[in-house]
Amino acid sequence: MPDPVSDKSSRRKIFAIRQPVSRFQIIVSAIGIWVVFFGIWLLATETGAVNQLLVPAPQKVLVTIYELFVERGFASDVGISIGRVIVAFLAASLVAIPLGVVMGAFPAAEAIFNPFVSAWRYLPAPSFIPVLLMWFGTGEAPKLALLFIGVVFFLITLVMDHTKNVRNELIETALTLGAGRGTIVRSVILPAVLPNIVVAMRQMLAVTWTYLVIAEIVASTTGIGAMMMRARRFLHTDEIMAGIIVIGVLGLTFDLLFDRLHRWLFPYLQEKR
Amino acid sequence: MARTNETIAPGETILSLQNISKSFDLGRGRSVEAISGVSFDVKKNDICVILGPSGCGKSTVLRMIAGLETPTSGLLDLEGRQIAGPGRDRGMVFQAYTSFDWLSVRKNVEFGMKVNQVPASERRERADHFIELVGLTKFADAYPTQLSGGMRQRVAIARTLANDPELLLMDEPFGALDAETRWHMQELLVEIAETANTTIVMVTHDIEEAIFLADQIVFMSRHPGRVKEEIRPEFKLGERIADKEKVISLEGYSALERHIMRLMREEGSKE
Ligand SMILES: Nc1ncnc2c1ncn2[C@@H]1O[C@H](COP(=O)(O)OP(=O)(O)O)[C@@H](O)[C@H]1O
Ligand SMILES: [Mg+2]
Repeated sequence: MPDPVSDKSSRRKIFAIRQPVSRFQIIVSAIGIWVVFFGIWLLATETGAVNQLLVPAPQKVLVTIYELFVERGFASDVGISIGRVIVAFLAASLVAIPLGVVMGAFPAAEAIFNPFVSAWRYLPAPSFIPVLLMWFGTGEAPKLALLFIGVVFFLITLVMDHTKNVRNELIETALTLGAGRGTIVRSVILPAVLPNIVVAMRQMLAVTWTYLVIAEIVASTTGIGAMMMRARRFLHTDEIMAGIIVIGVLGLTFDLLFDRLHRWLFPYLQEKR
Repeated sequence: MARTNETIAPGETILSLQNISKSFDLGRGRSVEAISGVSFDVKKNDICVILGPSGCGKSTVLRMIAGLETPTSGLLDLEGRQIAGPGRDRGMVFQAYTSFDWLSVRKNVEFGMKVNQVPASERRERADHFIELVGLTKFADAYPTQLSGGMRQRVAIARTLANDPELLLMDEPFGALDAETRWHMQELLVEIAETANTTIVMVTHDIEEAIFLADQIVFMSRHPGRVKEEIRPEFKLGERIADKEKVISLEGYSALERHIMRLMREEGSKE
């Protein structure tokens, strides 16, 4: 006897509400959307619908990326940019994580720091560029300071909010097991919130890349952003686009690394679902 | 590690609540009286079950025994000392899962002992003992996230017992479990109470669970929470029977159940 339920599901729709998608379909879809994107780009440049001077053809941009790396030492610019992101982001994390956890664990600490932190969050970091340049000159300091200011206050708030969400029962259980304040913060609150801290770091790393480009475009002679500003002066749109693509690839790579880090650090979370 | 208390023998009063009241401040000068004038005693090695309709203040009473809330007035006396704040002598098991997900089952059970600086070898030994007692030996190295709800509650119970508390406090510990698992856990708890020699104060709103487990039932009424009646289920003849079916079929069970149902219904009609 045909079962009407299974009969229906055997003719599965491609777009079914909340139904999982096969790995094959995921890969085809992911490649597909990029093929469409490059297809439109290619079509627009080949048919002359856009000015090649302003929008170079995709194959031209790919060749430029190759030339930049192989013939013109672009790798050192990329290295400098990555270095700036890592140093500034690590510095911001070293401040934000301990402070955010303490603010989330102790309302008294929140009462002290939160009025300060939330005010700073509403000040756009780039508005500090003129004064940072006056204070720190033209070295690495003003760029690192911009990235730091742009990220640290948001990261503090994210970490604090996640820390506040650690379930009270966990803390009370530890209290009735005889744990003191220090032990509870170190051995219960911190490990409980750590997976969410890594997620927050992943989100804020993407923001760091944004500020990096701003810093390098406005106030730098080195790095990916500076290369793009140089290219603008000579109307080398292919180099600007090459820069954008490289930043995108770097961002994606860092994001994947964080995803890996998350899985590696928190194997126990893989069992859930 | 065993802090043998010479002064209090099984059957003597270990915990005494005297005229406890608690008001919660709701802000803007308003407050709600959660419980009022609650008094009862708990005997050493007894299972005391606090029973009553939801909102009658059972959790509040238990949390005050744990030291997680302070009474507005009244005395809370454990072995002749006043309770002031939480401590390792009163371990609590909650209805919500409280396993530390980042630690293995064994490390979870060792947590309290580690906090209290029990040497590593003794820690390991005691942890293994209590993991075996709750039947999780095969899962000692698993993460709690790999376990079912009932198994997680067993980890919580083992973790509390391994810390050697004077009182094991439980707030509807089996409330989130399915009926069959709950049944198993109740039977397991009776066995544990027999072997581990602990005094248990447990909160539930499940009449069957209360009668099956309790040596003493404290029935609470609400608005505000008061002790309405204290009951010792005499029909069990002072015996602990780990077989629930057997207890239910004993003479006297259904009479007690009917009596408590009537108490519950009176509370329900107060709404
Ligand atoms: N932290 C709190 N703040 C305000 N009111 C509370 C608080 N905890 C409990 N109450 C109130 O006290 C009464 C008893 O609550 P509770 O002890 O949780 O009851 P039970 O566990 O029997 O369901 C309820 O009316 C509840 O709303
Ligand atoms: Mg309750």
